[in-house]
Amino acid sequence: MTKKPTIKPKKLITRRNNLNGWILMLPMVVILYLFIWRPSVMGTVWSFFNMKAYTVLDFCGIDNYRKVLTHTQFLPTLWNTVQYVLWSFVIGFLPPLFVAIMLNEILHFKGGFRVLIYTPAVIPGIAAMLMWYYMYYPDQTGLLNMILGKLGAETQQWLNNPDFAIIGITIYSSWKGLAGTMLLYYASLQSVSVELYEASIIDGAGPLKRLWHITRPAMEGIILLNVVRQIIGVFQIMEQPLAMTSGGPNGASTSLSYQLYQYGFNSGGQGTGQAMALGVIIFLILIVFTIFYFWLNRKVEDRY
Amino acid sequence: MKRFGNKQSGVLSSSDLKTVYGKTLYWTSFALLAFAAVVAIVPTIWTILTAFKDTQEIYEAFSFFPKDMSWEKMVSRVSESWKNLQLGDSFINTIVLSLGNLAVRIVVCGFGGYVLSKLKPTGTKLIFTLVVWTMMMPSQIRMVPNYIGYLHFPFAFDWGMGVNLLDTFWPMWLGSGADTFAVLLFKNAFDALSNSYVEAAKIDGCTDYGVFFKIMLPLTTPVIIYESIGVLSAAWSDFFTPLLVLDKNVVTPLVIYRLASDPEVQMNTYFMALVFASIPPFIIFAIFQKRILGGINIGGVKG
Repeated sequence: MTKKPTIKPKKLITRRNNLNGWILMLPMVVILYLFIWRPSVMGTVWSFFNMKAYTVLDFCGIDNYRKVLTHTQFLPTLWNTVQYVLWSFVIGFLPPLFVAIMLNEILHFKGGFRVLIYTPAVIPGIAAMLMWYYMYYPDQTGLLNMILGKLGAETQQWLNNPDFAIIGITIYSSWKGLAGTMLLYYASLQSVSVELYEASIIDGAGPLKRLWHITRPAMEGIILLNVVRQIIGVFQIMEQPLAMTSGGPNGASTSLSYQLYQYGFNSGGQGTGQAMALGVIIFLILIVFTIFYFWLNRKVEDRY
Repeated sequence: MKRFGNKQSGVLSSSDLKTVYGKTLYWTSFALLAFAAVVAIVPTIWTILTAFKDTQEIYEAFSFFPKDMSWEKMVSRVSESWKNLQLGDSFINTIVLSLGNLAVRIVVCGFGGYVLSKLKPTGTKLIFTLVVWTMMMPSQIRMVPNYIGYLHFPFAFDWGMGVNLLDTFWPMWLGSGADTFAVLLFKNAFDALSNSYVEAAKIDGCTDYGVFFKIMLPLTTPVIIYESIGVLSAAWSDFFTPLLVLDKNVVTPLVIYRLASDPEVQMNTYFMALVFASIPPFIIFAIFQKRILGGINIGGVKG
């Protein structure tokens, strides 16, 4: 460290600033320490320890990790989690983008469309999940089967069908999340310059050409950021299987995070160590995407 | 179609809208948006309508609309369900929870963002780096350790001195301050304010606290409103931490979760509970509608 040349009055101000600054910042630092920093570190440390319910016993090396990774359900659960992410793109990627673009062009009933399309985002998550649980109800009291019944088709098992459970949950999540993502895209559409569009009209480009050559490049950055954020977000899915399927049928919709919840809070205190080991495993998988996200974020911001 | 003539140029321009091709694109978009709106709204409508049906009707008629949609019938369904569900206490609790969350969020993250942006004491760089890096950290890694922390707060180990936070609102209240995203939003908002405000106020004899409360905080109203909308609505949907910490009847999201598996609650009454539980967030939405739908333009968080 090199010594900074100091001038007396400046030093005085700095010292007062320092003290006041730290007093004002202290609540934040303490809370972040207690709720994020310490538990993250302790979770990693304790994942190498035997736990009895919520008490730390003794060091056990990689025992917890071995138990988690060799569990017969680990690979199916990992695959389920990847399926959540894949389906969330198949079902949920294009609609918010297209709705945003179309809403930006429309002149009739624009405000009405915006309010109506936004309503799913206003309903509290837990109420919406259980609403959809009943939409998918396996007899004709559920809306989907009611419609099938009216059409004379056979009723379906929906969430009770192991091949459909993940898709069903993803349809719900996409329905719930459409408006939020749409507003994000919509906001960035406002910054596409009108001059560019007008210049392209003079050059004789049609609407679809304009969409591809002007709108798309302007939106690329935010779309890509959103894609990475969606991967990170959906990979952590937990509340939906918890509330809608309890991970079933037969574990068909169990995600890694839901499995962690089971280990941590639903195993009679037997799985606490494994829960933390699984937490570290999820962290290691996601840190790759997180670093990529930050790199991307900086790049996108540099461009604008 | 007068409106077409004045359309600002975008993917579609007013000249496009004179052609059949352009008109087709426009009305196809309109139809698709109408379809999206229907998909968005139908589950909610169905839930509301089912809440007004009789139990018998649900299990026998299998129809979208209730048979009896008279005003008296609807009023009696609402009052009857409200009596059966006993949601009153949980509503009050949820309001208390959400206001506490908001107070902690604004004070803790507001101060934090202010210091990181303006006062910058020694060590700011380190804290800021930590804040940015924890922003995207998955919460799974700290789920169990956090719970262990609640058992003998504020200690990580049971040394016989900590306070048990279970069955209190403190885990949610304090946890509400642990929002790095909010800290960065506040920091960015303060970054956008000129330092001359601070200097001018200090010359006039204002203290650091005075500067914060009288000058800086009011200038970040958009962020405060954004956080208020988020925090106040979230209390009606967050059920995971309450599920770990609280008894099953305390807050509305937990009651909703519990009632779903209660065999004594009929489907129509349960749907009424879903409607009741959605009313507070809809009130918040109605109040702040313009700001929410206007696309709150403070999303850019610099890492």
